[in-house]
Amino acid sequence: MNEEKTIRVLVAKVGLDGHDKGALLLCSRLRYAGMEVIYTGLRNTVDQVVATAIQEDVDVIGVSILSGSHRPFAEKIIRKMKEKHIEDRLFVMGGVIPDEDIPLLLNMGVAGVFTQSSNFQEITDFIRNNAKAAGCTK
Amino acid sequence: MPLKEDELAKIRKARQSWENGTLKRSMERLGLEKNPVELYTPLDSEGQDYLENVGFPGEYPFTAGRFAIPILNALWGRGKNLGAGKAIRHAFGYSGYGTPEDMRDFYMEKDKSPVRGGGPNIAFDLPTQIGYDSDHELAEGEVGRVGVAVDTLRDFEIIYEAFTGDRNLDKIASNWTINATTNIILAMYIALAEKRGIPMEKLRGTPQNDILKEFVARGTQIFPVRPSMRMTRDTMTYCAEHMPKMNTISICGFHMREAGATRVQAVAFTFANAMAYFQNALDAGLEIDRFAGQTTFLNFGGGMEVLKEAACRRAARRVWARIMRERFLSQDPGNWIYRELGGGLAGYWPCTKQRPLNNLVRIAIGAVLSAMIGDPPALEPPFDEPLGLGHSIEARQLAADAARIIVEECNLCDVQDALAGSYYIESLTNRYEKEVFALLGEIDAMGGAVEAVESGWMKLEVVKSAEEFQRKIETGEVIQVGVNKYTEPEEIEVMVPRTSPYRAERKEDAEQRQIASLRKVKQERNSQKVQRCLDKIGNAAKDEQVNLIPLFVEAVKEYTTVGEICGVLRNVFGEAR
Repeated sequence: MNEEKTIRVLVAKVGLDGHDKGALLLCSRLRYAGMEVIYTGLRNTVDQVVATAIQEDVDVIGVSILSGSHRPFAEKIIRKMKEKHIEDRLFVMGGVIPDEDIPLLLNMGVAGVFTQSSNFQEITDFIRNNAKAAGCTK
Repeated sequence: MPLKEDELAKIRKARQSWENGTLKRSMERLGLEKNPVELYTPLDSEGQDYLENVGFPGEYPFTAGRFAIPILNALWGRGKNLGAGKAIRHAFGYSGYGTPEDMRDFYMEKDKSPVRGGGPNIAFDLPTQIGYDSDHELAEGEVGRVGVAVDTLRDFEIIYEAFTGDRNLDKIASNWTINATTNIILAMYIALAEKRGIPMEKLRGTPQNDILKEFVARGTQIFPVRPSMRMTRDTMTYCAEHMPKMNTISICGFHMREAGATRVQAVAFTFANAMAYFQNALDAGLEIDRFAGQTTFLNFGGGMEVLKEAACRRAARRVWARIMRERFLSQDPGNWIYRELGGGLAGYWPCTKQRPLNNLVRIAIGAVLSAMIGDPPALEPPFDEPLGLGHSIEARQLAADAARIIVEECNLCDVQDALAGSYYIESLTNRYEKEVFALLGEIDAMGGAVEAVESGWMKLEVVKSAEEFQRKIETGEVIQVGVNKYTEPEEIEVMVPRTSPYRAERKEDAEQRQIASLRKVKQERNSQKVQRCLDKIGNAAKDEQVNLIPLFVEAVKEYTTVGEICGVLRNVFGEAR
C-alpha cells in the first residue's frame, strides 16, 4: 500500500548572503515534522547545491536568499536541475522576495515562494503535499 | 537613600491588605483566577541608592544618560536631523547599490534636495564585504545588490567624486558598513586622501569592523577568528598612531538581537566581544584611555516590549561603565561610557510584511521610549523594511516626521531620564544588570568571546533563543498583530504609494558594468607592481606582529583589487569555519 516515504529536504544558502535565521528555523521545523533535512551552510554555488541534492537524493530543494539576487539564482538553479535531470524534484524559495517578483519566479518553475508573511506550517504542508507527488515520478 | 526598614514594613503590610481586599474583590468581580497585570512598588527597588545606582546623566554610572546634555539636544535643528535612523552627519542615511558611478550619482542627485550634510553612510555589496571581486564566480548575481560594488581604489575615487570642495574628506565623516575587509577599505580612503593632498590625521569616519558578531549573526566573515582579530588589532594600532580622528570599530549588538538573541544576550555578547577587542588592543601595547575614545558601539537591537528594552539599555550603560572602571582600570571618566548613538529600540525584526504601515507605529513607540531614556528617537527602520531592499522616500519621510513629532510636539526630549525612579523601571534595570553580568561571567569562564565565538557556542545560544521565540509565536504566547492574530478576512490591507530611492534599471545591469570597469582597471595598471605588492602582503601576513595596513595602502594605490588581496590572505590565514 502507500508507505509514507520520509521526505528528504535540502535547505540551501546560495550566493553570499549570510543571514541564516530563517533557514535554520526552517530546518528545525521540518525535522520536527518528521522530514530528513540537510543544511548546506553558507556560501554555496548553484553547482554545489545541485550536486548535493543529487548526492543526498533529496525530494526537495529549498533555497533561502535575502540579498535580492533571487531571480538570477532561480534561473540558474532551474537550468542546472534540468541539465542534471532532477527537474522533477520540488524547488522552493524563501527569504526577502518582493511580492511583485513572485509570479516571475513561479513562471520560471519555482514551485513555491515563501517570504516573511509565510508561516512554517504553511511551508511544511506545501512540501508534504507537493514533494510526495514529485517523488512519485521517480 | 534606600527606604528604612519600618517604612518598607508598612508598605509590605499595606500591599498585603490591598491584595486581600481591593485586588481580590476586583478579580472576583471579573472572574479572574490570576492577576493579569504586574504592580511594582518601592518594595521592588529595595536597597536602591539614587547616587550609586542611578546618578546624574553624563556621570558614573551613567544610568540616567550617557551625556549631561543628550546628543540630540545638542544637534537638533542644526541641519543634523537624527530622526530617520542613522542620519546623523551622514548624507541620506545608510544606503548603497549598483556601481560606484550609480552611488556617485545618487549622492549628487540628493545633494539638490533639502536633505544635505555630512559624508556618506555606505552599504557595500556582498562580494566587497566578503573579499571577492565583481568577476568572481561567487559574486555572480550579487554585484551591486545589497550595496555598492567596490573592487579597486578607482571605485572609491568615483564614489567620492560626490564629496569635494566644502565636503572634501577633511570636512566630512564617512561611515562604512564593512567588516572583514575594513583595512582594505580604510587603505583606499587613505590613498584617496593622499591623492587629494589631505593628510590622514584629518580623516574622520567609522568602519563597522566588528568581526566577532559576523560569526555569530551576520555571516560576512572571511578568515578564522584569530587572524580576523589580528586584522582588528591592525586597525586599532594603525589608527592610534596615524589617524586619531578615525573611529576604529562599531561594536554591535543589533545583528545578534535580530538573529534571535534575547535582550540580555544581545547586551552581554556585545560587551563580551567588546572586551575581547579591547584586550586585543591592550595586548598590542595600546593604553586603554588612548584607544577607547576611538571605539564606538552601534546599538543593542530591540523589541516590542519597549519598557523592558528601555530598562535594559539603562542597565547596559551601568554595566559597561563598571567594566571600564573595574576591569580595564580606565582613569578617564569620559571613556567609562560607550560612544553610541542609541536608537533602534523597537528592533527591526518585529516589523511585519502584513499591513506594513503598522511598522511605523511599532518603531514610533520604540522611538518614544528612546527619547525618554535620553537617546535620539531614531525611527528605524522605515515602515517598508520587510518589503525589499531600499526604503522608499515616502517611508523615510514618515520616519523623519514621526521623530519631529516626538521631539517638537510631544517635547519628550525636554526631560532627562523621565523614567528614573519608576519602581518598575529601576527594578528591571537592576535585574538586567545582574543577568548581563551573570552571562558575562559564563563567557569569561570559557575563556572570553574569542573562545565563545570560535567554538560556535555564541552562535548556538542565539539560534536556541531564536527557536524558543519561534515556538512562542507558533503557540500564540507571543502575538504579532496581523501575523498570528487579527488575520481574519475582515481585516483590510493598507498601503500607500512607494517610490524607490534607487534607479531600478541601474541595478539590473550593474554587474556587467562593474565587471567591464574592473577589466579596464586591470588592463591599465602595472601588473608587476601589483604582484610585488601581493607578495609582500602574503609574506607579512605570516608574521602575526606585522601591521598589514601600510602594505594595503601601497597595494591599493597600484589598483590591486579587494579580491586579490583577500585571495592572498585566504592562503595564509585559511578560511572561516
